[in-house]
Amino acid sequence: MIKIDNLNVSVENKEILKGINLEVKSGELHVIMGRNGTGKSTLANVLVGKDKYKVTNGTVSFNGENLLDMSPEDRACAGLFLSFQYPVAIPGVNNMYFLKAAVNAVRKSQGEEEIDAVDFLSMIREKLKMVALDESFIHRPVNEGFSGGEKKRNEILQMIALEPKLSILDETDSGLDIDALKIVAQGVNDFRSPERSFILITHYQRILNYMQPDFVHVLMNGKLVKSGTKELAKELEEKGYSWIEEEMTEVT
Amino acid sequence: MSISNYKVEFEKMLNRDYFSKSLRPYRKEAFTQLEKTGFPTRKWEDWRFTNVSKISDGEFMISEISDAPQTTPNIDSYQMEGVDTVVIYNGHYQKDISSIPNGVNLLSGLEYMERKNGNFDRANNSPFDLLNTAFTDSGMCIVLEKNTLVKSPIRILFISNGDRSIMVNPRVNVDIGESSSLTFIEQHVGDATSFFQNESVFITLENNAQLNHVRIQSNSEFTQNIANLNVNQEYDSHYDFFQLVDGSKLGRSNICVQLDGENAQCNINSLTLSKNNQHIDNNIIVNHNSPQTHSTQFVKSILFDTSTGVFNGRTVVHENAQKITAHQTNKNLLLSKKANMNSNPQLEIYADDVKCSHGSTTGQVDEDALFYLRSRGINKQDAMELMVTGFANEVLDKIPQPEIKKAIYTEFTVKLNKLMS
Repeated sequence: MIKIDNLNVSVENKEILKGINLEVKSGELHVIMGRNGTGKSTLANVLVGKDKYKVTNGTVSFNGENLLDMSPEDRACAGLFLSFQYPVAIPGVNNMYFLKAAVNAVRKSQGEEEIDAVDFLSMIREKLKMVALDESFIHRPVNEGFSGGEKKRNEILQMIALEPKLSILDETDSGLDIDALKIVAQGVNDFRSPERSFILITHYQRILNYMQPDFVHVLMNGKLVKSGTKELAKELEEKGYSWIEEEMTEVT
Repeated sequence: MSISNYKVEFEKMLNRDYFSKSLRPYRKEAFTQLEKTGFPTRKWEDWRFTNVSKISDGEFMISEISDAPQTTPNIDSYQMEGVDTVVIYNGHYQKDISSIPNGVNLLSGLEYMERKNGNFDRANNSPFDLLNTAFTDSGMCIVLEKNTLVKSPIRILFISNGDRSIMVNPRVNVDIGESSSLTFIEQHVGDATSFFQNESVFITLENNAQLNHVRIQSNSEFTQNIANLNVNQEYDSHYDFFQLVDGSKLGRSNICVQLDGENAQCNINSLTLSKNNQHIDNNIIVNHNSPQTHSTQFVKSILFDTSTGVFNGRTVVHENAQKITAHQTNKNLLLSKKANMNSNPQLEIYADDVKCSHGSTTGQVDEDALFYLRSRGINKQDAMELMVTGFANEVLDKIPQPEIKKAIYTEFTVKLNKLMS
């Protein structure tokens, strides 16, 4: 699905990612954990093509294509999706109109016919149920006046409407109460399939009580320094990150 | 500034038999006063950013019979579903193609004056109101008696065509009687190459009256347009104003609302779309003269090319006007590095128990929002259009009637997309 090879990224001449190597295969769910400021969101943003992030070295191949050469919209059309940590509000732009434009842009790029308004509405009604959002939501401006939990559920709604191949969830679980967390986790679980992959970026082990990750990685100082299974997440929750730092010092 | 250029035309005007003699004293008085004040210059506080030398140095002529259409003008391209239309062409009333809805009395200026026992409405002594009084040549008076609910909107369609530098000074009176309601649309269109329109509108809302007022200024890019809007509101009256401006070389709207009666409410909404070197200025004053009165100003501009704009919004809360609410918002979207906007929201409060707010933002399209849309597969061009349309929608959504909203929305979107492609 995606193969990240020795990825180096800097922001405003400051090196943030210092050689990331990661391969995610079809159907896999990878978790990336780490402290604040270690580069987790940088990794997410550089993959979807945000322009203030500069790739200084390395390659990313997405289903055989050179991801870094593609525009943000082409990446989305190729099946990449990011659930933003802080989704922006877009006043005046109706959520449904936006969603329909997005779904049709993706369909068009895949040579499919555009979906009409009636079919779209019945499709989106189904998906709204999956994230426990009221229909009035899609008639409001995108993210405007939404609570934190509503914004995150709106991200998941977009994900299941756009049906991406690889979804990156950037701290989608942060700040959610337990009910909203379950809804988000359930939304992702229902969406999992052998053709779809996920990268879940999080601070907390909590959401993993509702999900089955294949791998857990630790990002530290711009590098993935340790990989393991769900057990690693539990260990991090109990012991924090300093033991990994110590391990690293011993190695060097 | 000298108004000598206008003197000759003024004499000409006084000698026209078809203008009523009873108006002459008012005309003369206004012109004499105008000679004293002169046209505004940029040294005047309210005119700092707007240069009217094209008008003050201009040589505009009053409209002649020969400026009226020789055959019935075709208004097919200005059709609007479900409205009655009164047509005024270069200042000349086109009775054959005009209609009015039931319940509306349409009076000439003279008939209106008789109704008012010979009194002639005079606004403040601003130069352009004086000019209008001196040269009043067309326009209509719309009168609704008490308890009249008119469902079908009435539109006055002002068409300005031709290559002669003519000046028209339409005067419109709208009187809405107690507990009556109306939707009034004024639409300014045409392809004139050199034209000056100085319009004065007087609106009176009696107790519990309601008026939706829609003003569309989409005449040619070469015209000079001054609109002087005077609104007086009594108890419990409700005034909703919506303005869309995309026409004229120079456009200036002077909007002055007096909330005289308790619980009177006005909402001023305006959207401007400017391009090339158009200059559009909105000068708004809302006076809260009584307690429990409410006002909003919601004014947005989208500027392309080297176009410029001004927002001067003033809300004055007088001493006894307690428990009022007043909100001002001005947002401007600059779609070119050379576009320029001057925004000046002001609150002047002399009462102590009020709820007021004001805010102003001017900037380019939000890059984060643009990226958000692109990250969902929408290409850059479409994402820009979506955002700019969204910016406009916040105002367009305030248009009162669904049919009118649809008509304006469609026309606006076509114009916007043309500019963005």
